[in-house]
Amino acid sequence: MLDKIIELSLRYKVLVLVAFVALSLFGFKAYKEIPVDAFPDITPKQVVIYTESPGNSAEDIEKLITYPIESAVSGMAGVKLIMSNSIFGLSYVSIFFEDSMNIYFLRQLVSERIGSVDIPNGWGKPQLGPNTTGLGQVFWYEVRDSRGKYTLQEIREMQEYIVTPLLKSVSGVEEVISWGGEEKQYNVLIDTKKLQNFDITYSDIITALQNSNQAAGGQYLEFNSEQYLIRGAGLYQTLDDIRNTVVKSSVGESITIGDVARVVPGSAPRFGAVSIDGKEAVMGMVLQRTATNAAKVVENIKAKLETVNTALPDGVSIETIYDRTEITHKAVSTMTSALISGIILVAIILFLFLFELRSAFIVILSLPLSLLIAFLLMDYYSLSANLMSLSGLAIAVGMIVDGTIVIVENSFRKLHDEPDAEKFDVVSRAAKEVATPVTFAVLIIAAVFIPLLSLDGLAGKLYSPMALNIVFVMLGSLLVALVLVPVLILLLLKPTSSAENIVMKTIKSGYTPILIFTLNNTKKVLIAVSIVFVGLAYLLSQQGREFMPELNEESIMYRVIAIPGTALTQSIVTAQMVEKHILETYPDEVATVLSMIGRSEKGETAQGNYMEVLLTLKPGIEDLEALTEEMNEDLEHRFTHVAFVPTQPIAMRIEELLEGVKAELAVKIYGSDQKVLDSISKEIQSVIGSVEGLEHMEVESQLGQAQIKITPDYLALARFGISVDEVMDVIRNGIGEEPVSEKIEGVRRFGIVAKIKDAKKDAESIKKVTLRSKSGALVTLGQICKVEIQQGAAFIKRENLSRYMVLSMEVDGRDVASFVAEADRLIKEKVNMPTGYYIGWAGDFKNMKEATEKLMLIIPITIFLVILLLYTAFNSLGKAMIILLNVPFGFIGGIVALVASGIYLSVSAIVGFLAIFAIAILNGIVLVSFIDELRERFPHVELKTILKDATLLRLRPVLMTAFTTLFGILPLLYATGVGSEIQYPLSVVITGGIISSTLLTLLILPSTYLLFYGEKE
Amino acid sequence: MIRKIVATVTLVVSLFGVEIPLQTVQMHSFNRSVALNAQVIQLANAEQSITSLVSGHLEEYYVKPAQKVKTGQKVALLESIVVSKMSANYLALKKQLKAVSKNYNATKNLYKKGMTSMQELNNQEIKKSEINSQLTALESQLETLGIDAKGLKKATAYFILYAHSSGTVSSLVKPLHSSVNTDEPVISIVKNQAYYIKSFLPLEYATKVKVGDKVVVTYAGRDIVTHITQVLPKLDEMTQRVVVLSSVNEKVENLFINSYVKSTVYFGLGRRDLAVKKSALSFFKNEWVVFVPNKEEHHEEESEEHEGHEEAPYGVVVVKIIAEDNEYVAIEGLSEGEEYVSDKAYYVKSMILKGSLGEHGH
Repeated sequence: MLDKIIELSLRYKVLVLVAFVALSLFGFKAYKEIPVDAFPDITPKQVVIYTESPGNSAEDIEKLITYPIESAVSGMAGVKLIMSNSIFGLSYVSIFFEDSMNIYFLRQLVSERIGSVDIPNGWGKPQLGPNTTGLGQVFWYEVRDSRGKYTLQEIREMQEYIVTPLLKSVSGVEEVISWGGEEKQYNVLIDTKKLQNFDITYSDIITALQNSNQAAGGQYLEFNSEQYLIRGAGLYQTLDDIRNTVVKSSVGESITIGDVARVVPGSAPRFGAVSIDGKEAVMGMVLQRTATNAAKVVENIKAKLETVNTALPDGVSIETIYDRTEITHKAVSTMTSALISGIILVAIILFLFLFELRSAFIVILSLPLSLLIAFLLMDYYSLSANLMSLSGLAIAVGMIVDGTIVIVENSFRKLHDEPDAEKFDVVSRAAKEVATPVTFAVLIIAAVFIPLLSLDGLAGKLYSPMALNIVFVMLGSLLVALVLVPVLILLLLKPTSSAENIVMKTIKSGYTPILIFTLNNTKKVLIAVSIVFVGLAYLLSQQGREFMPELNEESIMYRVIAIPGTALTQSIVTAQMVEKHILETYPDEVATVLSMIGRSEKGETAQGNYMEVLLTLKPGIEDLEALTEEMNEDLEHRFTHVAFVPTQPIAMRIEELLEGVKAELAVKIYGSDQKVLDSISKEIQSVIGSVEGLEHMEVESQLGQAQIKITPDYLALARFGISVDEVMDVIRNGIGEEPVSEKIEGVRRFGIVAKIKDAKKDAESIKKVTLRSKSGALVTLGQICKVEIQQGAAFIKRENLSRYMVLSMEVDGRDVASFVAEADRLIKEKVNMPTGYYIGWAGDFKNMKEATEKLMLIIPITIFLVILLLYTAFNSLGKAMIILLNVPFGFIGGIVALVASGIYLSVSAIVGFLAIFAIAILNGIVLVSFIDELRERFPHVELKTILKDATLLRLRPVLMTAFTTLFGILPLLYATGVGSEIQYPLSVVITGGIISSTLLTLLILPSTYLLFYGEKE
Repeated sequence: MIRKIVATVTLVVSLFGVEIPLQTVQMHSFNRSVALNAQVIQLANAEQSITSLVSGHLEEYYVKPAQKVKTGQKVALLESIVVSKMSANYLALKKQLKAVSKNYNATKNLYKKGMTSMQELNNQEIKKSEINSQLTALESQLETLGIDAKGLKKATAYFILYAHSSGTVSSLVKPLHSSVNTDEPVISIVKNQAYYIKSFLPLEYATKVKVGDKVVVTYAGRDIVTHITQVLPKLDEMTQRVVVLSSVNEKVENLFINSYVKSTVYFGLGRRDLAVKKSALSFFKNEWVVFVPNKEEHHEEESEEHEGHEEAPYGVVVVKIIAEDNEYVAIEGLSEGEEYVSDKAYYVKSMILKGSLGEHGH
């Protein structure tokens, strides 16, 4: 079949040329249109249900909201995991689904399910979280009032009613989240002692407020042939309307709200704040919709900003804080520059080796053509151009040309050998000769990267675009090599004298004696190399492991955590101290400091003790790493009352996606009572504290939130004739400030709150809140309820319908797996677990373990596949084995490089090993197939001689493929931009691997061949 | 060694970026009062007893039965050991205050010149305000007994009972030269027509108030001082509250009968307890606690073991809250003069709890 293809393409050469020109044009168009992103979309299929339940405690929210929702969704098809977090005022349930499901379908199913959930009246309504990805926060901005004319409340109003609607209309925007400032509400301040004066109750006031403030339609009347619409406009217009609302009336007199309360504008209780450079501010976050492109969405938003700025009053404008496209461009440019320098380096190498312009031109031309075909495929499979997919291309750059090199080399040699033969025939023969090994080599390279496609979860999502792209570009290169290259050779290549240049001559003169030595000492050399390999393999197993190298986003961000129960105002103070300190200490490096404190709306689970601090850096910082380190140290020592966790904007979101646990290793303790969980965690701590290798251990404290618990005394209530309902109304509306109605101003809505005056001064004042029963009894809360202060839950986390607590740890100087085995045994032996309590191991370790287990299954299958391919190519199992034996020798260099540079074994490094696997086999194929060819041609020559000659003759193509791959990858090794660190381990491994695999292919492979086939001669 | 430890202590304190203020536990007097709803009413022919606030010996009646009296008119003279003690005490304290004030001013001058510490100045100030508060308490007690404390030159055992309202003396309850106990009626007066304030008191306070206690009524923006003349024996069925009556003796323009007003009832003479600032309180592991600086000797031992570790320089003391006002809380659990963290307790708590935070910077 391959012969047929070559034959046909040579015959219809013009058609082929035209086809490739067209292909390149389409490829270029695809290249221009491919969406650009920093990262592949790594978000798991996840639907979030959040229920705002203002003022309610974590315990009650868990009981009354979270649990019913969890039970309702737990039986759904495709559910992988249900996690929930109940915090003060919010229930957050996150459902993870199988990746194959359709998100819109899932959202519909979930929303059907939550429709059936019974949540008590007044406890909030479950809502689906925004349909966005974990990395959906693509654009952050501040609504800045440069003249200081407006209050925070007014700016927040502008954000909500001017900016948000405009930005929400932008295509691709799912949601705009407001953060910071104060929300306006109207307070009806009631002095409950006065209720007696007018013979009314608190509920009367609420009812009055709710019953007024209405609008009604009265149809129409006809008058003089015209229609007049009738409208009842009873909505509150002014505050006086509220004041004049009648609460109670008897003959001739009525009591109004104004008699019992003062009506004043105020602001709602808040859960979050934003501070920029020591001053409170208002910001917004734009969320992109799932399956849209970040760069495009941001572009659309930026285009809209002008309209937004005109709509805002003078002096108020939108200022960008964070823009995802910046990092996207940085990451993409890191990769494209690596790609381009790779191409240039490869071209130079090719020219040096070939020393002939025409053949060099053909080989170099195959580079962009293969890439354009890959772009075409990327476009077709809607793969975005991102850090990972582009790095796939960068890795492959050196391998793309391999097929072409082999074909060009062969034709070149043949044309030289047979100057008088018909050119068409020679080229056709030459191409056909190597078509099979070239095709199989490319197929094998593609096969080697298949295990990456099988990876689950984060690793799979990150690395499969890379693997896919390698496959795409290799297929492209195969197409170019088989169809276009023969045509180009036919048209361009001329028979010239042997192009043995000085470079090759020098290399050969050094190489020949070594080759002869190894051929004479085959066994000894093989044994020595095997011993080296076994030793290194042992070293590798001792190497530290990490799941993923950290991405350097060229920004500094901190998660700042204060003790649970910290008040929001205190956190604002802390944040502003930190901001001022950073600005004062690093005036040359830091431009602005932004703190996001607590939570915004829409399903964030942070509390008042949590802050995120983002630094905007000034341009021209030379050593960012040193600065980060210095700052970490400084902040940690300066502000000892809070914990600083350095992170970065994208890294932080990824951490959050890692299904709850961020540590390397963690024990999750499951069970129902938080106090018992707490004591079990203490026991575990003491039991495994002495296990060797444990570096650090900490508990995520879930308790520690002080609560004022108001328990109704039913007997007392009965005495005074007051119902629990009334008491809870007072707590919810009067103390908790839940709006009882809304004042509608145009489209803006502001809550009307029946707030009890002076109720929230301190714990004592709660007891003094007065209630009046319908019969007239005046009682204080202290009289009818037990008011006590106690320590309660700050939050309650659940996983698959069970509460849990996390004990995270760090292990150093020891294999994590063995540590887990020992610790697990100790816990089972010594810790007393009550019925219903159990533990599970989690963390990065688990992800790594799962990935490793998966690879352990996939890699043998892949090897089998490769053997099958090799067997088909050579029709000999022995040769397949010889080539496969080349692989461990290739690993030697990879391991040495990894160990020497002290890099952890990560998925990235594993990808490097896979690449070496491919390269080693490629080298092997090239050599073995040529040896076979020579043996066929000269059946009577001694095998050793044939081996020597074949190796020397093939030295150039082997070195060429090796050097092109090496120099293709080198830019990745020396890249410094955003995203380079993720590719670093990979390039280190490949660099080491190429060197060793090439050297060993040239020295050891002839020896193994001799060992296998020497006796048969 | 000690120098090194002092260094760690100050280091840790300054590391906060905030200064942690310390104060000592002091006695503080707590006035009990409760704000209530009240109504203006008018009563005819109400009888009012004039009682003595302290026990003593009845020396002289200034009025006869059936005699008409006016508000503020002298009705009887009593002699009391309690009063003589109080007045003597008052005079002594006054002298002390003078001396302490002098000291304080001198220290203040020194401090301004930088010759003494803030701590020392604070101590002096605390001492001064301590005496001052005692003096004020005594003064108000003496004033209630009708003794002009400010004009007092020497200790006296005599005090005079005055009529609380205008009316007719109906009877002289106690025989002349007899002993009179606290809160015992001495004379009863019948009022002709009078305004009263009817305050509705929750049951829990009902046992604490007694006839003669002050009730301040806020009416049309001004405070009217009245005194309880009667605690009605029957609970108000409608409001389920105890009703106390206090008579309005001063002339108030436009006092509308049946109008509702705010009243504040003060009961009991000011009690004195060990107290800490309210800002010192923190809720820690289900208890109210106050943080105290660790003793230095203690530090010495500890830091030997924890070389290089940051050791919390504060300890936790569980306290029981007995009473509170706007600024202070009366507590049990600390002794007088003990140093405690009077403000920014949050930072100290954070430091102690930080180890158990969910995350740690590495």
